[in-house]
Amino acid sequence: MRNILFCFIVLCASTVLSQNKAVLFGLEEVPQNLLLNPGSKVPQKFHFGIPFLSQVHVNGGASGVSAYDIFQESGGDINARIRDKIFDMDAKDFFTINQQLAVVDFGWLAKNKIYFSGGMYQELDFISYFPKDLAVLAWEGNQSRLGQEFDLGEVSTTGELLTVFHFGANKKMNENLTFGVRAKVYSSLIQFQSIDNTGTFTTRESTNGINIYEHELRNINMSVQTSGYASLRDADGSAEVISEILGRSFFGGNVGLGFDFGATYDIGRFWTVSGSVLDLGMVFHTNGVENYESKGNHTVNGIELIFPPLDDNEPAIPYFSNVVDEFENQVGVDTLQNSYTQLRPVKLNAAVEYRFGRGRGDACDCYNMSGAVATNQSVGLQLFSVFRPKGPQLAGTLFYYRRLWDFLSAKATYTVDPYSFSNVGLGVVANLGKFNAYLAADNLLRYGNLAKAKSVSLQLGFNIKIDQE
Amino acid sequence: MKTNFYLPLWILLVSVLLSSCVRDTDFDQAENITLTPVVELNLIYFNLKANDFFDSITNTPRLTLRDTTELPFLDDDYVQEDLMKADFLFEFTNSIPRRFDVDFQFLDENNANTYRTGTDVAQGSPENAQTTTFTQTVEGNDLAELTTSSKVVVTVQIPSANENLEGELNLKSKTTYYLKLQN
Repeated sequence: MRNILFCFIVLCASTVLSQNKAVLFGLEEVPQNLLLNPGSKVPQKFHFGIPFLSQVHVNGGASGVSAYDIFQESGGDINARIRDKIFDMDAKDFFTINQQLAVVDFGWLAKNKIYFSGGMYQELDFISYFPKDLAVLAWEGNQSRLGQEFDLGEVSTTGELLTVFHFGANKKMNENLTFGVRAKVYSSLIQFQSIDNTGTFTTRESTNGINIYEHELRNINMSVQTSGYASLRDADGSAEVISEILGRSFFGGNVGLGFDFGATYDIGRFWTVSGSVLDLGMVFHTNGVENYESKGNHTVNGIELIFPPLDDNEPAIPYFSNVVDEFENQVGVDTLQNSYTQLRPVKLNAAVEYRFGRGRGDACDCYNMSGAVATNQSVGLQLFSVFRPKGPQLAGTLFYYRRLWDFLSAKATYTVDPYSFSNVGLGVVANLGKFNAYLAADNLLRYGNLAKAKSVSLQLGFNIKIDQE
Repeated sequence: MKTNFYLPLWILLVSVLLSSCVRDTDFDQAENITLTPVVELNLIYFNLKANDFFDSITNTPRLTLRDTTELPFLDDDYVQEDLMKADFLFEFTNSIPRRFDVDFQFLDENNANTYRTGTDVAQGSPENAQTTTFTQTVEGNDLAELTTSSKVVVTVQIPSANENLEGELNLKSKTTYYLKLQN
């Protein structure tokens, strides 16, 4: 039961390199491909996504550890395995969850030959880096590490739940170039971030001779920003929390603005390059903001007794409270209500594709002998990057695409990313009359035992689609 | 002919996804996860001068000095549950030509005695300070008593004193907390 539950959680709550949809990128048969590259070629003249089912995307991953690493049955002590992993991982390792659900998705080819598309989707995004020093401190304590500076700046995490309203335009500019742009309005339901932290904690033998040790907090500059969280504390029960959060879906919380750009360019008859920039935007958090901040330096020497000559009825000096007060004065946590601006994680996609095999469509496009030909097979290379608090995360993908029949295409991918070097993915798209369905997943080699997978990514969807003649 | 080909592909992909599962793992092991950090923390310190033991206004010796500090964390629930052992280290440096009796009396919030320990401090001289190191390991029943405490009374007794006495009595101390945090 627990295993089934775990499968469910991994599949439902989880994307690779958060949001790398390597299988879907460039797969023109899938209308939602336009969300990955607004400048993709568009074969259809109309599409309408089945509400809530046009794109379901889940992805979860941990760069340094799998469930199997910790919970394997093969004997041994779980605590030894955890300890090994803590020391094996570093502060660049991360845990991430990304999930998207298209609520509405549609598009049509206008008379001016521009393909307009729009819709609304919901997105959940979370990343937390592994705060290694804190983990070591919690696991071992400070006794065996006197003098070591524990880096509190390793704490870095962001999470958000938002709805995105988008509208884009795509146009074939000439025989070779297709260009597209998409505007997005973000409606943030809840968001938090703790990034760009600094500070160290050190316990060392006293250098000032006051006591045996000195416990030093130095260059502390730690903060947490939250929006949409403070008002939930008063909510009564989870039902009320959920209804309050969902109530913000239509601009009830905080709003933001962003853009996607993309282009596809044919070089000669067989080569195509394409690229896109997604979520170039920001969210302005002004409502329901609550921030926590700690700044400063402080050294704790212990409690100094001064043996004052007190009468019996005089109270003792509150030494301990004084130490705590001094600590709070120097490095205590302040609660602020400052507005803040959050950058959305920008995503970059780039691909180069070489087509070969049998031609398809019309036997010969005799007016376009120099333009790109459509064939039934292609191979190529894709690059993906998402900008995260500690810098960009990169993934490279090799792919093989094959159009088996007019109504069925498949694409296989091999991806190298921070999670693994053995990520094989497969996607299938079927056009059955006006009905379009697709299913794409990666890390297939791991589906035999999800516990060994460091990441899982899955997309599926259903559309009504009418192709251009 | 067509169906022969595409159907297996779909079946393959769907079946791979459906058959996905989590094997060779035992999540019940989570119950065995145990953190055993060993934490070093400063405790109290003081610096008494020889003339603290003589009241120059009344011209009489003060043979007993006493002070109290709260240690409110000692009787926290998590300390009571998770603390396995505590090692106290008291390090005295004495340049006063007297020996001292130092007593540490732990009290709960109703000022009832919970745990008591103490030591003799060797006599020193202004030219030649003596160091006395006193360690006390607390575990078992004693630890159960200690972790009902919320304050400690420190009593320093000198056998005799006069206005000409010179030197200092200095204390540094720390505690090593052996914790065991279980799921």
